[in-house]
Amino acid sequence: MHLLLLNGSPKGESGNSNYLLQLLLEGVDEIPGHTHEFANLVRVKEHRHYVELFQKADAVVMAFPLYTDMMPGVVKAFIEELEPLCGCEGNPALGFIIQCGFPESVHLRALEAYLGKLSSRLGCCYLGTALRGGGGSARSMPAFMARDFTENVRALGRSLGNRGEFNPEIIRRFAGKEKLPFLRLWFMGTVGDRMARAFFWNRVMKSNGAFDRRLAQPYSDPPEGW
Amino acid sequence: MKICVLNGNSEPGELDVFLSRFGLLAEERGHSVKVLQLRDMDIKYCIGCFGCWVKTPGECIARDDSAEVCRTVVHSDVLVCASQVKMGQVSALVKKTLDKLIPLVLPYFTVHEGEIHHPQRYARTRELALILQKDGADEEDLAIIERSFRRMCINFDSSFLSLKLTDEPVEEVVDALAAA
Repeated sequence: MHLLLLNGSPKGESGNSNYLLQLLLEGVDEIPGHTHEFANLVRVKEHRHYVELFQKADAVVMAFPLYTDMMPGVVKAFIEELEPLCGCEGNPALGFIIQCGFPESVHLRALEAYLGKLSSRLGCCYLGTALRGGGGSARSMPAFMARDFTENVRALGRSLGNRGEFNPEIIRRFAGKEKLPFLRLWFMGTVGDRMARAFFWNRVMKSNGAFDRRLAQPYSDPPEGW
Repeated sequence: MKICVLNGNSEPGELDVFLSRFGLLAEERGHSVKVLQLRDMDIKYCIGCFGCWVKTPGECIARDDSAEVCRTVVHSDVLVCASQVKMGQVSALVKKTLDKLIPLVLPYFTVHEGEIHHPQRYARTRELALILQKDGADEEDLAIIERSFRRMCINFDSSFLSLKLTDEPVEEVVDALAAA
């Protein structure tokens, strides 16, 4: 199987999506005989070339974060480049790994529905969408906390390498909590938020000299004529 | 009522004609309409750097026309995303512009509608509507688009007003938006 791994993170190789694809590849590579190629969709000028790579692949896995409840703009731009392939014979199998910074998976379900329909529109065999809330912090977690996360992605890679599919049971396990139970939700909205402010957001703002402007409203004056 | 229309049509065409008629009729009925032609604006892709949260709070660090979009959106009562349906979703032009609305929320977390979301940077909120040129889209596509935008409304503490199509009478579209 020749696998094309499309990294749709607007951060390029430094984003979480690249990390997820690397984990997936570790699982795929446990089964010998496969080849692969990486492409970063943030390189918008290369999209036409990536469409050619898409056509030549046996399977394509696209990974990206949730941006304003949908795919990032660079990913949508690439999807539009795929339009001429709709209805063509021989398109590759297509799967997705999507994640968001919010801890619940419910944020990703509308996008999952879109990706299933996209696969059908392209006439691709749909491998499935592995989605995970809270995926934005996977790389920064201590290894023991991230083990469940990383092992599930590797296992997904093994299922792809072994049988050319995303195992639905692994997708289910990977998804984590659809919504947080009441006490955990309360904790995240209060203590969790304060900890994130103190140990990350406010600290970074202070180091940038921006903390005093953290609540700034630079567009409080209306546009001309309004 | 102040209506901000993001025209995400990549080339002049049927959607532009519809939006011109929409704008004229809405103005006749006493609304103030500002149409932003996204294809003529310099809007860079969001690169996920969080600079708009941690370096220049409330503003994208890339100095582009997204500042004009943000300012107009902040002061609108209704935000209309107008687009051809391309590959089952609004155009990439609309999508990259929506990505640039992130400065309108704060990086922190809050509980909203039983889920974790970001608090709003501005107290003023608005309703959101869609005007779509259907092209080859089917009912399932439209349902998925509406579902995506309803999710976005939760994140921006907005409410979803309606999804209208360019093959509907423009009077009905104006009436639907005037219900806000």
